[in-house]
Amino acid sequence: MNKNINQKIAFSVFKLLSFAVVAILFVILGFIVVRGIGVVNWEFLTAMPEDGMTKGGIMPAIVGTACLVLGSMIFAFPIGVLSGIYINEYLPENGLKKFLRMMTNNLAGVPSIVFGLFGMALFVNYLKFGDSILAGSLTLGLLALPVVIRLTEEALKSVDDNLRLASYAMGTTKLQTIRRVVLPVAFPNILTGLILSVGRVSGETAPILFTVATYFLPRLPQSIFDQVMALPYHLYVLATSGTQIEASKPMAYGTAFVLVAIVLFINVLASLLRRFLQKKVKMN
Amino acid sequence: MKKITTFIISLVIASQLNAQKLKIKGSDTVLPLTQKEAENYMKATPGASLMVTGGGSGVGISALLNGTTDIAQSSRKLKLDEKVKLQEAGKAFKEVIIAHDAISVIVNPTNKISQLTREQLEGIYTGKFKNWKEVGGDDIKIVVYSRETSSGTYEFFKEHVLNNKNYVSSALLMPATGAIVQSVSQTKGAIGYIGLAYLTPNVKALKVSYDKGKTYVAPSIEAAKNKKYPITRPLYYYFLTKAEAAVKPYVDYVLSPIGQKTVLATGYVPLK
Amino acid sequence: MRKFRDIYEKIIVGVLFSSSTITSLTVILIIVFLFKEGIGLFNHAVVDDNHVIAISSQNPVKDLTADKLAKIFNQDYATWQELGGTKDSVKILTTSTLMSIYTEEQLGANGENIPSKVNEYVKAHPGAILFMSKSFLPADFAGREIAVDKISLKKFLTGTHWYPTSSPIPQFGIWAIIMGTLMVTLGAILFAIPLGMATAIYLSEIASMRLRNIVKPIVELLAGIPSVVYGFFGLIVVVPLIQKGFNLDVGETILAGSIILGIMALPTIITVAEDALRTTPRALKEASLALGASEWQTLRKVVIPYAKSGISTAIILGIGRAIGETMAVLMVTGNSSNIPTSFLQPARTIPATIAAELGEAPYGGLHFKALFALAVILFLFTIIINLTVEVIKNKARKQSA
Repeated sequence: MNKNINQKIAFSVFKLLSFAVVAILFVILGFIVVRGIGVVNWEFLTAMPEDGMTKGGIMPAIVGTACLVLGSMIFAFPIGVLSGIYINEYLPENGLKKFLRMMTNNLAGVPSIVFGLFGMALFVNYLKFGDSILAGSLTLGLLALPVVIRLTEEALKSVDDNLRLASYAMGTTKLQTIRRVVLPVAFPNILTGLILSVGRVSGETAPILFTVATYFLPRLPQSIFDQVMALPYHLYVLATSGTQIEASKPMAYGTAFVLVAIVLFINVLASLLRRFLQKKVKMN
Repeated sequence: MKKITTFIISLVIASQLNAQKLKIKGSDTVLPLTQKEAENYMKATPGASLMVTGGGSGVGISALLNGTTDIAQSSRKLKLDEKVKLQEAGKAFKEVIIAHDAISVIVNPTNKISQLTREQLEGIYTGKFKNWKEVGGDDIKIVVYSRETSSGTYEFFKEHVLNNKNYVSSALLMPATGAIVQSVSQTKGAIGYIGLAYLTPNVKALKVSYDKGKTYVAPSIEAAKNKKYPITRPLYYYFLTKAEAAVKPYVDYVLSPIGQKTVLATGYVPLK
Repeated sequence: MRKFRDIYEKIIVGVLFSSSTITSLTVILIIVFLFKEGIGLFNHAVVDDNHVIAISSQNPVKDLTADKLAKIFNQDYATWQELGGTKDSVKILTTSTLMSIYTEEQLGANGENIPSKVNEYVKAHPGAILFMSKSFLPADFAGREIAVDKISLKKFLTGTHWYPTSSPIPQFGIWAIIMGTLMVTLGAILFAIPLGMATAIYLSEIASMRLRNIVKPIVELLAGIPSVVYGFFGLIVVVPLIQKGFNLDVGETILAGSIILGIMALPTIITVAEDALRTTPRALKEASLALGASEWQTLRKVVIPYAKSGISTAIILGIGRAIGETMAVLMVTGNSSNIPTSFLQPARTIPATIAAELGEAPYGGLHFKALFALAVILFLFTIIINLTVEVIKNKARKQSA
């Protein structure tokens, strides 16, 4: 009897705490949505900031973030996927594999501000790219790299080994097997991984602080050596700087809303895609 | 649909207007002003393109030295060393005062203190006074807010109010002025310093005395203009003489009556 | 044909291999760049080569350490007597005081008269101590230069004063910042463990499949929210709440940072811990239940001990997530460089210090190098965390084998 009461209490506590976690998310989201949604309209999304950034829109920040995400993915996606394929398909369980995995984990654990510092030292100063989209994208790309590698590896691991064996039995080479059999099956999960890393990259502030972000630049970038405004940094600026902190608050809420909406959209898209593609694979 | 078309057209136009690009870099104090001036200037001058970045006065000046900016905005006069460096590099430069700024000392509106002498401020900021009752207020702990160590305002305040002494180490260092206003407005025992432009009704500006309590002056544009308010400083643009032709139209715009109106509207002190 | 294909495959494998080396290369480059700049702090003279600190040659005081000099320039001494010298009062002469003593005309339009004026001043004031560019010193200078000791590693780590821009003697003591970082992280993990573990257990052992499919994505969404949004939320909501709730002088506290960081660490902890709990073999659980143990007892005595290493990994990774977080902390902890003694005080963390100061630290200067040295410390923390995780994993693998 006592046993059951204990269990009931313990399980209720667990349940309660879990719901608290869910509640936290809803409080944060609710706060951003309630305060931000009224600010967001077509003009907000497509206009330049005006009047000391208390009016107008955030278009350059949206475009800037899009450029950075695109740039970082052009860098991180091929390298990440190729390296995932190499680690999972080519390397036997040996020291090198362990070492590469450890390095990937190490890179994943590096704080984002250290990426920023490193990006500034290597890309901005040493390679003389200056504060630019190029420098920012490469920094963000390095940050996304371990995420892409890991998710690629996981995607490849989940491919049934029998498929590989069957393919070999038909006399194909390893490369052909990977290209024709393994990758098509793993593709949905790799794609989800890519989308998730886009979500991660689009919200990062610390790595772009010293590599690309600018306070105010009401025009669109024309080359990869331009600086840009970016959504996360813009939110930081609106929340802490600006002469009229009260007047720029609505803009801050709006920016937070757009940023969160983008990130959530990406996450939801990824999980929907995963479900959809998994179903398709199962049906086949 | 029409909106989308105009949006696309504006994108195309924006990417083709490549005419005049000016980079302005430096002091975060001048940043909001330059931002506003640049915004208006670009509206009034089709084809002009200005890029405004912060980083601090020192950063702007060293950028001027190594050629990565066209105008250095600064909340302090060039240091003698910087002057020498520019001269050694053979780079003749021009200095233009574009406006003045008054540093206001602010407290929470519930604080009954409304005036302090420089000596009291020094005591508060160096940690000698820890409670408001030591300077005639209620029995509340003083919470000292300051800007980050590398800000020009931090240095100016240290030099002109703290008599070059170090801040108390328990001071809360805020990454930006807006954050100081935000925090002082919600913290009872808080004291902070901000540019006049940042003053809002949520915080109370103190009267300050620089003659040991004989006269107290409240910060205002008027008092800063006629030099009655003691904690004021000029704001500068520095640019290389050889770049004068490119920079001049913008600088002239800032100094023009329209530009100076913007100075006033943004909360800084106009020249005339 | 066959040969061609072989070569082709070899090239592809080569490309794959080189891609896989990029991460390692990056880690190595990060180490090289951070250390190279960071170490510069200890080899670099405190007062750069172009500047000089000097006292009058009549001044008998010797052994002026960097700390004493810092105090002198902070006007902590009225006369030289306290330093074992004469009764002459301490007179500080810098380029800015020079400009307030003499008019611009006296100094010359291009500063050509500065050296003679400096000499004049030092001769007139035996208690003078000056700091300025070497080029301002006259050839027949009536003073004695003072060599300032370099910064030692020990002073860097254990020093309690962080005045990186103080002139002429900047102080780089990071003890308070290290303590701040550790306290915020500790608080975050204390906040996150109960919530995270409860959720992990609930998801893996108690919740129905349907509920799990709802809660799990929500937890993952928490990971997706950008840190600057957390910071914004913390600044507007959590900070005032803490101030009112605890009736504090200041709301920007370690606690505020801990709560925000704790929330941010939750997804990591929950995901990893849940995965670990799920690996408990079904047979083991069923055996326990068959022996008459309740689900709760099974959980406590069988499942959790079995998943022990996975759970510790989860917590350590959570710590890793919290310790390096930048923007959110910068916005809510107040950034005062005092040594914190309770969770209700403001504190400054390593990432926040770097983020707030790097932009305005002159490139290549001492302050710049000190921030890189801070990054090295942070990097070492994370490497230790990663290695611990590796060790735990290896141990667990050996045990299960």
